[in-house]
Amino acid sequence: MRNFEFFEPTTLAEASRLFAQEHTQLLAGGTDLVIGMKALTEAPQSVISLQKIPGLAGVTTESDNSISVGAMTKVRAVELSADIQQHHTALAEGAAEIGSIQIRNLATIGGNIAHASPAADTVAGLLVADAQVDIASADGERTVSIDELFTGPGQTVLAPGEIITRFRLPSPASGSHYIKHKIREVMDLAFIGVAAAVNLNDGVITDARIGLAAVAPTPIRATEAENLLNGNQLTAELLAQAGEAAAAAASPISDLRCSAEHRSEMVNVLTRRTVQEAVNRA
Amino acid sequence: MSDYTVVGQTVARVDAVEKVTGAAQYGADVHPPGMLYGKIVRSKQAHANILSIDTSEAEKLPGVKAIITQDDVPSGRRVFATDKILYLGEPLAAVAATDPDIAEEAAELIKIEYEVLPVVQDVMEAIKPSAPRLHGDGTKDGPNRREIATQIRRLTRDKENDHSDEISKLEAELENYPDEVYYNISAESHSDAGDIEKGFAECDVVVEDTYVIPRVHQTYMEPHVSVASADSSGKVTVWASTQGPFAIRSGIAGTLGIPLTQINVIGTTMGGGFGGRFGVIITHVPAVLLSQKSGRPVRVQMTREEEFTDGRPAPGCVIKLKTGATNDGRILARQALAFWDSGSVSGASIGSTIRVRGVYKIPNLKVDAYGVHTNKSGTAAYRAPGAPQAIFAGESQLDEIAERIGMDPVKFRLMNMREEGDPIPAGATEPKVGYKETLEAVADAAGWWDREAGENQGWGVAVGDWTNGCGPGGVYVAVHEDGSVRIFHGSMDITGTDTAISQIIAEILTVPYESVTIRRGDTDSAPYSTGSGGSVVTFTMGNTAKLAAEDAHQRILELASERLNMNVDNLELRDGEVHVVTADPPKSILLGELAAYSLSTTGGPIVGKGSFARQASTPALAAQIAKVEVDPDTGRTRVLKLVASQDVGFAINPMAVEGQIEGGTVQGYAWAMMEEMQYGEDGNINPGFVDYRVPTSADLPTVESVIVEVPAPNGPYGAKGVGEPPITPTLATMANAVKDAVGIRVTELPIKPEKVVQALQSNGH
Repeated sequence: MRNFEFFEPTTLAEASRLFAQEHTQLLAGGTDLVIGMKALTEAPQSVISLQKIPGLAGVTTESDNSISVGAMTKVRAVELSADIQQHHTALAEGAAEIGSIQIRNLATIGGNIAHASPAADTVAGLLVADAQVDIASADGERTVSIDELFTGPGQTVLAPGEIITRFRLPSPASGSHYIKHKIREVMDLAFIGVAAAVNLNDGVITDARIGLAAVAPTPIRATEAENLLNGNQLTAELLAQAGEAAAAAASPISDLRCSAEHRSEMVNVLTRRTVQEAVNRA
Repeated sequence: MSDYTVVGQTVARVDAVEKVTGAAQYGADVHPPGMLYGKIVRSKQAHANILSIDTSEAEKLPGVKAIITQDDVPSGRRVFATDKILYLGEPLAAVAATDPDIAEEAAELIKIEYEVLPVVQDVMEAIKPSAPRLHGDGTKDGPNRREIATQIRRLTRDKENDHSDEISKLEAELENYPDEVYYNISAESHSDAGDIEKGFAECDVVVEDTYVIPRVHQTYMEPHVSVASADSSGKVTVWASTQGPFAIRSGIAGTLGIPLTQINVIGTTMGGGFGGRFGVIITHVPAVLLSQKSGRPVRVQMTREEEFTDGRPAPGCVIKLKTGATNDGRILARQALAFWDSGSVSGASIGSTIRVRGVYKIPNLKVDAYGVHTNKSGTAAYRAPGAPQAIFAGESQLDEIAERIGMDPVKFRLMNMREEGDPIPAGATEPKVGYKETLEAVADAAGWWDREAGENQGWGVAVGDWTNGCGPGGVYVAVHEDGSVRIFHGSMDITGTDTAISQIIAEILTVPYESVTIRRGDTDSAPYSTGSGGSVVTFTMGNTAKLAAEDAHQRILELASERLNMNVDNLELRDGEVHVVTADPPKSILLGELAAYSLSTTGGPIVGKGSFARQASTPALAAQIAKVEVDPDTGRTRVLKLVASQDVGFAINPMAVEGQIEGGTVQGYAWAMMEEMQYGEDGNINPGFVDYRVPTSADLPTVESVIVEVPAPNGPYGAKGVGEPPITPTLATMANAVKDAVGIRVTELPIKPEKVVQALQSNGH
């Protein structure tokens, strides 16, 4: 690990001002950053901890069941939050897939997202929750939709000095589900991840949302598949069509974990499974 | 069951407390004053000529205290690459600095000019004429060519007669086998029995397949580490994380030209070995060289990434196997042609290809095996080296035969298993081994005979055999005035062997297990003891300990005879006291009293000596049954039940034995289902635990262990080595279960979801 300066600002403004400098990194849970620094794939000159800034952690639920998740909320807290489990089951399930309990007790949801890995386990759940991402900087605040946050692997729309502060999940889904395709039961990275969320109105699907992870340079929504589902009752045929449409939306790569073809096939299979389960739960 | 009081009982391990409290001293815990940090400079190419190595910039970096290259190796034994690089990560030099970051920075400053050469990673490519040669034109002949060549050599040697016509005819015949010229061959091994052609001709069913088994890593938790300190007198002390301190001592002596007596190797608590922790040059030699050059203690410790790129993992291999049987279930012939991926040096366990024979009566057998050079690091032992690979092929194919002749896989195996007195190669006969008992035990325990399987569920069975090695060992045992007993020896504790040794000595001296303590010496202070590999320790050191305790026992009776003025024949050591057998009222003397008394006798203190080298070992069998469920859409396999039986001879510590059965079975499962070192053009592409997956406890149900005890004539109390056998059948057990579940035969491990999906699709799923 290279030498670096360590800052523990107590306000977002101060953190943002420091983070606007070049060769800086934010420290949230450290489960990605510290490993990178040890491996020298990250060699920041300054590390700015967010841990002393009040108000960045925690899950709060409003009377309309909209939920706000602070960026510094531990992944384990997201996993165990009764409100998230109830209203955004896919997000809680995704959180439970990350690393080990020890890792989840350190890692934060903000870090999982800001790291911008297409394979992040909370991202599909946030996509189907239609999460709004609040971003702060010394210049003020702005909000982007989660599906506009990512621009490529490890890349986001965040400008120098901009810090994710919270995720707002505006409307609950009555049924949602996340499945990760993996080899090992726990502590594996997603070969792909699929989340689906629906509401039902008299058996008719509304608000269908499908989020795909690790199948494209950024996490994506499978909007064609969603459109097929919306306004219809779920049938085996419709499910098959939705699976096909989601697979068509994916543009995966082949790598040492598996081939692009396998990833596309699994998008199809897991879309069918997550949608079915989301409808069952709704 | 037995009359024993300590052996055969589950007792706490002697090292349990130090392990769970963190007090155990591992290699990286050693930190002598003034210690420097070593870093090995590694090749960034997989195959290249070295044009130059320039260390001048690195030498100028403040904090750098020593830099070494091959020029510093007096014996010339290859420690660092000199003119040619053979794999990515091959050591080129090493640096010692006051801080690990400085050492790493210095390593980056060493400039190496390369001339890049074409790379070959796949054994089947490496044997082709078009393949780049790692060690020149190292061609050897294929099986038929080899036989012809042998004849030519024999005829050529016969100077008394003229064979020139025959020779030229044979030479012409060589041209008939153009496909059997293999390149990059590092070693070969051939054996046959019976008449293979005739054997196959008599078969009703013949099955042929090619099995591909990947290279896997031992993945011991503790990476290689050594701390070396050379003092001004030339004495070298090495704290080594190793399975064999005495082998490390001789290795260092030979490589660096240091007299044995000037080297002391202190084995530190081992964080796992599995056969991969015997290497001398990986860290130990560089650490010694750096310490000699800098005059300060130096630690060389590998990272996990270095473990993958420059460890000595288990070789992968390709086995072409053919088996034939009659319709009534008799296996008549089996033939194997195997290519083992030996990496840049020879040393792959190609001789283990013979394990395709299994424990079956196969009258006609032919095995040809080759070690093949590729641009990878060399290989080493891993738990029953070579056996899991060969047995995967053999036991997978047995199920295919059983299926074709419509016979139950367990019955088919039972019917063909060798029995006591059956002939085995080298003119010997089969000893009494619990082959059938072990398979029957696992079948009964797993519920094989009334097994049920839901949709996409299936059952698999396989057996694997292995025989423990043995090696020289020495043990001293001393009895103290308080009746306590202390053991001195020099073998590293592996799999709880110190515990077994302590139990044996407690048993013979009739003292409580808790009053026995064990002291493992370094190579300066311990009698020579075998390396802890090949399942040798309990067999060898157990026998040695038994001899030492019996020697002490003898001395104890002598002392009691003297003290009580009784004939030895009238004395008995029991419950830590020597009793006069015929005394009425009872008369006895405590062991401690005798030990105290011994200090003022002519004969002196109670010290028993045991020394043992070699006795015939008896084979052991592991038999396993798995029930799995395969998800045909995702290709994922879930294990529902895994039962493992093993003929252990005699379980000195049943809990420890069960632990070995579980551990070996899980490692076999891992090899079957997920572990695989992957290679691209540039070398290993998954050098870490993110993409080299070892299973966690969530992947498997509890392994149900079944201990079978058919005593080994020469084992202590009948014990056999237990560490290695349980990994041998699991690869095939899993593949056979997957076949039973969804009808696909996976011949290329690991059984990854993608492969399963593809195979099912080509089956029309």
